[in-house]
Amino acid sequence: MSKLALSSLHQALQRSFASVDSSQKLWLGVLADCSPLMVSLGNLAEQAIALNNVQLSNTPLRDFPDLEDRLRFKLLQAIDTVLNRIHEKMSSLQSIRDTVTNQVSAVLRLYQQNAEDLDLHTVTQRSAVTPSVADMLEWLQDAERHYRQQFLKRKTLLHMLKADDLSLLEAAPKTWKSLESPSANEQITDTLCKVSFFMESR
Amino acid sequence: MESLKLLPVHPSDRGSQRCRLGPGVMSALGLGLGSPVLVSLPGGSCLCTAWPRSDLAEGFLQADLKCVSPGLLSQNPAHLTLDLGQLTAVPAHRLKSVRITVVVQNVDFKKRASPRLVHELVKEMLVGVQLHKGFVVNLEDFDTELVYVVVENIYPEGTTAGLVTSRTGVDIAGIQTVRHYRSQLQDQHREPLGGLEEVSAALREMLQLPLLYPNTLRSLGLSCPRGVLLVGPPGVGKTLLVRRVVLEVGASLVVVKGPEVVGSRPGESEETLRSVFARARSAAEDGPCVFFLDELDSLCPRRSSSSAPENRVVAQLLTLMDGMNRSDRFLIVAATNRPDSLDPALRRPGRFDREVIIGPPTSQQRKEILSVLCERMPVCPSVDLSELAQRTAGYVGADLSALCREAALHALRERSKESGEQTVGMKHFEEALKVVCPSCLRGSLGRTELSPVPWERIGGLEEIKLKLIQSIEWPMRYPEAFVRLGLSRPRGVLLYGPPGCAKTTLVKAAASSSHCAFLSVSGADLYSPYVGDSEKTLAQLFRQARACAPSILFLDEIDSLIGSRSGCQTPNSVQARLLSVLLNEMDGVGLKTVERRGTEQVLQADGGEESRTQEQLDCQEVCNKDVMVVAATNRPDCIDSALLRPGRLDHIIYVPPPDQQARLAILKACTTSMPVAADVRLDELAANTERYSGADLENLCKEAALLALLDENMEATSIKHTDFLRSFTKMSPSLTAQQIQTYLSSPR
Repeated sequence: MSKLALSSLHQALQRSFASVDSSQKLWLGVLADCSPLMVSLGNLAEQAIALNNVQLSNTPLRDFPDLEDRLRFKLLQAIDTVLNRIHEKMSSLQSIRDTVTNQVSAVLRLYQQNAEDLDLHTVTQRSAVTPSVADMLEWLQDAERHYRQQFLKRKTLLHMLKADDLSLLEAAPKTWKSLESPSANEQITDTLCKVSFFMESR
Repeated sequence: MESLKLLPVHPSDRGSQRCRLGPGVMSALGLGLGSPVLVSLPGGSCLCTAWPRSDLAEGFLQADLKCVSPGLLSQNPAHLTLDLGQLTAVPAHRLKSVRITVVVQNVDFKKRASPRLVHELVKEMLVGVQLHKGFVVNLEDFDTELVYVVVENIYPEGTTAGLVTSRTGVDIAGIQTVRHYRSQLQDQHREPLGGLEEVSAALREMLQLPLLYPNTLRSLGLSCPRGVLLVGPPGVGKTLLVRRVVLEVGASLVVVKGPEVVGSRPGESEETLRSVFARARSAAEDGPCVFFLDELDSLCPRRSSSSAPENRVVAQLLTLMDGMNRSDRFLIVAATNRPDSLDPALRRPGRFDREVIIGPPTSQQRKEILSVLCERMPVCPSVDLSELAQRTAGYVGADLSALCREAALHALRERSKESGEQTVGMKHFEEALKVVCPSCLRGSLGRTELSPVPWERIGGLEEIKLKLIQSIEWPMRYPEAFVRLGLSRPRGVLLYGPPGCAKTTLVKAAASSSHCAFLSVSGADLYSPYVGDSEKTLAQLFRQARACAPSILFLDEIDSLIGSRSGCQTPNSVQARLLSVLLNEMDGVGLKTVERRGTEQVLQADGGEESRTQEQLDCQEVCNKDVMVVAATNRPDCIDSALLRPGRLDHIIYVPPPDQQARLAILKACTTSMPVAADVRLDELAANTERYSGADLENLCKEAALLALLDENMEATSIKHTDFLRSFTKMSPSLTAQQIQTYLSSPR
């Protein structure tokens, strides 16, 4: 009975790790797409600040009618467009995170359903090729927590950005970059390495 | 296996709510992977999910404190050993909905963030977390503006803990800032404060009224008082009182210490003051707030005509206080012990509307303070706090706490010598009383160290002793009897009589038996080459004596000190001016308000707090009212008659030269420390020493002893009767019959 439960759990774990693997690649890809957008957002903010500081009537450009208003409108429009695109990216990040969350909670539920049959000795038993069930569940939880944290931090940042708070917008690319945690990414890669034999053993 | 060592949590586990245990412990408790477990630690408990350690070692525990009871928020338990009974498995539930309060980093976020966003964020943060009713979830690992979530209630009813899933409904009851939340938390562990109930009730009322009944006040058109000035001598607990009331009300506190504000550059102090006001204003948006200016006299001294920088600070404070809107819901409290040196413009209504005077505590209040202080000390049940309170006249709160500390130290020292049970007994307090003297008397010029003299040391004079006991000891011991008969304590006692008849010793004995503060002045203390200085010193002496009342002020040789107005050489001499000061101080129009004892604050809103009965108050009056002036002289005819009327020196006691029995008693008292031969007949000596004063008799004994030494060449072992007789023949009495007659015929 416990053998059966264990093997089904192992299969679920393999599926989850596979999904984490693909999600991680997707996640990094989306983030890589985001950073040029953030940089351009910062640029636009800088331009808007420059526009606020300059007195157009003192420059040779004063002959153009309504130049300042037109420029500001253009800039705001551009900022809007970029923000929209970032929000689109955010929704794809969210879907990645949801996939991982669903996978992990499914595995956990499967474990909890079979918890009667799986005593602690079984779940903590590890071999050279197969990490223990407890370890793998822990890694999955860690990965899921990482995605959730990252997503929340970025989402809060985007929510606090407003078109009228230019200094915040200008600093946004830096803040965005500072949210990355290379160590957590490494840890996920590490985890994937650790389970690679287990993945191939199917 | 039984005991688990608590280790700091592993960095990678931070925020995971895991509790790392050995697999053995987990199976002993029946826990699976991720089962909720409640760990109780000293100071609170935390809810975790059980997880085996990666090295599977037993005997250790690492708990991530994500969901803890509020008591554990500020402390981080480490280096503890837990036993297995402190872990309890909690049944796993899924929650239908939770009701929470969100705690955010700063007010800005609270204002800017839309409720929808907060709801969304909080929900995402809570998914997958085990919650316990009444616990606090720490969200710091998400690194956002949200810091804590306080779990107010969870559903379904009846469960105390459970897991939040994506289908759990989240209901946000309110949003608070961290500072406000922390100040509320501190509220739960506070120290009690003795003896200041009335003042603290008044302060609390001022803070709470505008919060509880804003509409009523608006409809009445009332603006609430917003400034309170606390006045009192150092050490009565002004600062402590403010901190306590603030904690009780749950308000936030912005403290400004006078010297901290003052900067070196011109304009810097004003700027600091403005920024502190701005801070108080922003804190007031969050809830009630108290802006506390400690040591106001250093910040706002009386403005002088020169353009001193203090003038600008005072002006700035005045304008800031006037510029407070009605909507600024903060109260300004200032404390000072030198109200006279404040700028008068500060003390008008509209700025500091109310002045609360906290005097030195009365004996009732001292008893309350002592009982609060002794609550946490292992005090022997034989210690009588009310007696201790009576003996600590003039002690303020700080002195009393020093006294208790000293007593505890004595007990500790004694215990280190011999092992016994550790309780603080009355004898320790008595030791401490010798060391700790009231702070209002420190540096006072009349403070004298006096070696206690028991009444028995004075031979004879029974009637006079009784009179002194009546006027000094009885009001302290039996205040209720005095109240019953409508008596008040006598103001003063004059002892007169021939020199050498134990007047000074009598006063010493009275002072040591009544345990009240004893101040003694001589001419050397009072006289000064500057005009007006002596009078000031005398007035100051009376002020100090009143501050630690009941007290005895002893004026020895009052005839030379003060003199008389009639038959005086120069009408405006120092003596005459000193006399006028003395007359005024003894029976003047009244006291300065600042010298008020205790507190007589009448509450505005609730008059029902009048818990003490009138009788108790009266008793306190008798005990604490006045300074007792004891004067001694051997020239009663030289004293101004205005001093001798009832109400000033009411009791005028003649101390006569000793009669035969008294002389015998004196001789006995003098020879107790001498090896007297068996043949010495003191009664015979007493019969023959007519008109000898006490000092003469003492001298007689000394002389006899010296003669004995002279005869036997330093090897004398006892004094014989012949020695006494020889010394007797050498001496003559210092008093004459005529002298005694003048005292007896004296008209008083």
